[in-house]
Amino acid sequence: MSTFVIGLSISMLLFLLAAGLTLIFGMLRIINFAHGALYMFGAYLAYQVSASSGSFWLALLVAPLGMALIGALTERWLLRPIYSMPHEFQLLITFGMILVIEEMVHVFWGLNGRNIATPVALAGGVEWLGTTFAKYRLFVIVLGAAMIVLLLLGIERSRLGLIVRACSVNPTMAASLGVKVNTVRTAVFAAGAALAGLAGAVAGPMLPIQLQMGTTIILDCFIVVILGGLGNIRGAVLGALLIGMTRAYGQQWLPEWIDILTYSVLIATLLLRPQGLFSKKERLA
Amino acid sequence: MTETADKPAAPRRLALATVDLRFTMALAVLFGGVAFTVRDDGIAYMLSLIMVWAIFAIGYDLAFGTAGILSFGHAAYFGLGAYGATWAMLRFGLPFSVGLVVAAAFGGLTGIVVALIGRRVTGLYFSLLTLMLAELVSIVMLTRLRDLSGGVDGIAGIPRPSFMAIDFFANGNFVWIVLGLFVAVILGVAVLRRSPLGQAFQGLRQNPVRLEQLGLNLGRLRLAAMGISGAVSGLSGALLASLMMYASPQLLSWKLSGDVLIMTLLGGSGTLLGPILGVAFFEVLKEVLAAYTDHWYGVLGVIFIVGTIFMPKGLAGVVLRRWRRA
Amino acid sequence: MKKLFCSGMMAATLVCSALTAAMPVNAQDVFRIAGIVPLSGAFGVVGENMRRGVTIAIEERQSRVLGKPIEISWDDTETSSQVAVQKTTRALSRDVQTVFGEASSGSTLAMMKLTEQRKVPQIITLSADDRITGADKTRYAFRTSNTVAMENRMIGEFAKRQGSKKMYAIVSDYQVGRDMWAALKLDFESKGIQVIGVDLTPVGTKDYAVLLDKAMKSGADSLMLLVVGGDVVTSLKQGADVGLPQKMKVMGTMLMDETLGQSVGPAGSLGVNSTLRYHYSQNSPRNKRFVEAYKAKYKELPSQYAGEAYDGMSWWLDVVEGTGVWDKEKWVDAFHGSVRKDSVEGEKTMRACDNQASQVGLFGLAQPGTEGPVVMKVTEQFTAAELFKPCT
Repeated sequence: MSTFVIGLSISMLLFLLAAGLTLIFGMLRIINFAHGALYMFGAYLAYQVSASSGSFWLALLVAPLGMALIGALTERWLLRPIYSMPHEFQLLITFGMILVIEEMVHVFWGLNGRNIATPVALAGGVEWLGTTFAKYRLFVIVLGAAMIVLLLLGIERSRLGLIVRACSVNPTMAASLGVKVNTVRTAVFAAGAALAGLAGAVAGPMLPIQLQMGTTIILDCFIVVILGGLGNIRGAVLGALLIGMTRAYGQQWLPEWIDILTYSVLIATLLLRPQGLFSKKERLA
Repeated sequence: MTETADKPAAPRRLALATVDLRFTMALAVLFGGVAFTVRDDGIAYMLSLIMVWAIFAIGYDLAFGTAGILSFGHAAYFGLGAYGATWAMLRFGLPFSVGLVVAAAFGGLTGIVVALIGRRVTGLYFSLLTLMLAELVSIVMLTRLRDLSGGVDGIAGIPRPSFMAIDFFANGNFVWIVLGLFVAVILGVAVLRRSPLGQAFQGLRQNPVRLEQLGLNLGRLRLAAMGISGAVSGLSGALLASLMMYASPQLLSWKLSGDVLIMTLLGGSGTLLGPILGVAFFEVLKEVLAAYTDHWYGVLGVIFIVGTIFMPKGLAGVVLRRWRRA
Repeated sequence: MKKLFCSGMMAATLVCSALTAAMPVNAQDVFRIAGIVPLSGAFGVVGENMRRGVTIAIEERQSRVLGKPIEISWDDTETSSQVAVQKTTRALSRDVQTVFGEASSGSTLAMMKLTEQRKVPQIITLSADDRITGADKTRYAFRTSNTVAMENRMIGEFAKRQGSKKMYAIVSDYQVGRDMWAALKLDFESKGIQVIGVDLTPVGTKDYAVLLDKAMKSGADSLMLLVVGGDVVTSLKQGADVGLPQKMKVMGTMLMDETLGQSVGPAGSLGVNSTLRYHYSQNSPRNKRFVEAYKAKYKELPSQYAGEAYDGMSWWLDVVEGTGVWDKEKWVDAFHGSVRKDSVEGEKTMRACDNQASQVGLFGLAQPGTEGPVVMKVTEQFTAAELFKPCT
């Protein structure tokens, strides 16, 4: 039972990250290799806010907002010049971003790992049916579910979502209808960065906050996005569930083979259904 | 190439490839000159490192700049080449030259296998496939084949070549072997580029539809490109293993694949000079920056960003464009 | 003409920068030490601490030895053994008198092959792998800190003294981890401690919740946590949420100290038992001086890594000074069998048979304290005789 809950919490965290990545790809056609670095910066930001103010909840609010701002600035100044360039230049610029962001963290916070204390309201565990469930993990699951609902509703039902989808499918048409496509692009990247920041803040009490945290989680994030289909939010949910559960149950039964298993599933997907296991076409949601 | 007497004196434009080759050979001569005059072990090591990485970048560019295959997984060919040479020399006691051949074979075969696996996948998905396959190889070597790869600790004590009683453990001597192979690779790739096969590779990047109309089999071309690119990458892997006298599964990591792509891009893809300049610039920059500041990583990042926006054709682009007038 | 100039400039810049980065040097004027440690990446904080310890050791003798100034250059291995090898090769080509490093055993073993080849002494104050002074030992590499075998004996004895009856183990899947566990399993069983289960997990596992859950449900009263690097923080942090230190007796090697306690937080750290390579509370005159100097310069108490680094380097430099000659071979000979009566941890002897320092072993328990929220209290001490098999 607890393996199930743990798997769900891993899935939710992965989803928060993957959602941002897939949103950015769907709209901007850019693979944001620096997503892991944004996640890391969000975690450190959250640490700073919670350490200075003593409130985890404030950190949970400020980190995504802060990252949204950084994301907007980045998109405007660094990414806009390269939209017209071939794909490989995305790698170069986002790689440069990773180095700069990591160095900024090094300068501001040094080399020591940091810790966000689990907020008192969520600390400890609940006993149920003979197992202890970490309260914080339950919180992560609830938050993740809320974000899923919010994102899907936002993309599929709201006017804003309509504009975003229109811009991703046919920017010229949208522009001729009076939509400021550039602003939409900036907004989407900012939203993706905000999601990464939220993921960082959420991960703070669960995982070590250290300089390499972005690189260790980004590969899993990629896997989820590919499995779900680039640009597909629903797919990202299902992909995150698949990977999260595989990790949790894999650790239960055969910890030495999880990675190999995961990559094999991924390669099979790329070969047989490159558009993703869960999507019909390459579209937002 | 002579001017006809009655044409007005318009500036002659040399073929890009010719200028490219001249510059590259000049660079090779420069390296040799430095190695000969400055009898310093550290400089010889630095030069060897640059040349080994340059060979890797040239090999990578064969797939990327020439044939237009964006590969995120070239570390697999490099690393397996390194291990191939290591096993040949340490487990079977074979000489260095055989180790090099084994390395090239490992790299080339792996390249072909990857191309075969992904024969029905194109574009971005193929690139992602190369990344994932390389990761799989890396994980398997790290965790399942620990006896063969040395696991996290790697394998130390890889020998340098030994013949004619010359001490190749001295970097000052080893650099000549690296230089020789460097020149051989440059000439080989230059010849390949001008050959019909090389032209076909360039067609893969520039206009695959037309190529197909001309009756060429795109799939087989891609196989050939990946194979040759993999072989050159494997060769450079073996050289690095011998230079450092050490090999570890880190040689298979995606960070390495990213590094070679970045160096090739920064230097300018599609040319011979580009990858070499990119490598030299990258390595020298790292050394110089590290001597001045602890935060050289960040400065490097800024340089990448600025370089991408303002110099999309890379360093070679800047150099070669202006020199095309003879 | 201009174009010739331009390309000439480029070539010249290239060559000049390469040259400045590796200047040829004069021997015998300066005592050069190459410090090769991780200063970035996962072990960055470890290397940084080692650097501090060595700095104090050098400053304490006014940066002089054998009448010549000491010059130390630091190279960052970026927590990668490939880079460590690269930096070592570069350093060795610069004519150094001593190499210091590294942190992880894999890097150190690779470096040892190079320092042996070039006949340059290497001082090791952290890597614990037995092969360093065992199967792969070299004449030139010396280790002044703990070995895996030593820590194994400590833990086995500790578990018995603490009354553990049933043991569960979570082990990082790397050579040192697996070797340790193989030896420990036999040791536990010979002492009557039942091993209920073991989980091998890749280095860098992000989520320990499932494994910790398995351990807690297994019925064991003690948990052997043989994890390394960032995994220590991950596993203990996640253990905090499920009350791990309260439900099981958690023990390990290099599992907890003040620095880690800061990263993990009190909830996950208090109550954890760990071997200690060094502790600032050790009561020797040299240690008191060292702690004072360290606090004055860095405004905090020295960690294990700093303490061991200081100890190793100051011992070596004293031995070099004692020979009175500029001859690496004589220094190496003098180090063999050298006895340091007043090291920071009491008496240490550099064994001539395997270049390993025999020394006491410490065990600590994490408790709340005055110097910080998590402070290690030394609870057990083992003598050198208990921990080392004599040289044959």
